[in-house]
Amino acid sequence: MMKCDNKQAALLRKIQEMEFVAIELNLYLNTHPCDQCAQNDFNCAVEILRKLKDKYECEFGPLLNFGFGSTTKNPWQWSEGPWPWEM
Amino acid sequence: MWIYEKKLEHPVRITRPNVKFAKLVITQYGGPDGELSASLRYLNQRYSMPTDMAKATLTDIGTEESAPVGYK
Repeated sequence: MMKCDNKQAALLRKIQEMEFVAIELNLYLNTHPCDQCAQNDFNCAVEILRKLKDKYECEFGPLLNFGFGSTTKNPWQWSEGPWPWEM
Repeated sequence: MWIYEKKLEHPVRITRPNVKFAKLVITQYGGPDGELSASLRYLNQRYSMPTDMAKATLTDIGTEESAPVGYK
């Protein structure tokens, strides 16, 4: 897997990694809701994830449709490639 | 309503395509007990659940089971 294929792929890879952290901590907190350390870790992960996504969307277009992603100068970027299975 | 996230959850690289295996995987998604069937059952049965936790669980799992369909 070429992580450094290009800037877009590399940034997306970082987002996937951070999202994995957030999802795993989320699932853990479902069964251990009082774990303060895990809560803090989760909140940190979410903060980093949001920043990464903002950075990605600013340059490469929205990750979510119907206005759920960040606003970009070009509103047609949603329909532009590459699509996930083409990357 | 549905929103679609324009990225895969994990990176995917198929180095050796295998038609037999692909057919097996597709059956898992769309077959009688496939992910799609399960997803629709969960998403419809959550309305009659007695507790919030049950409604939330079926919603989460039902949504999650819809994800593999997106990979196609």
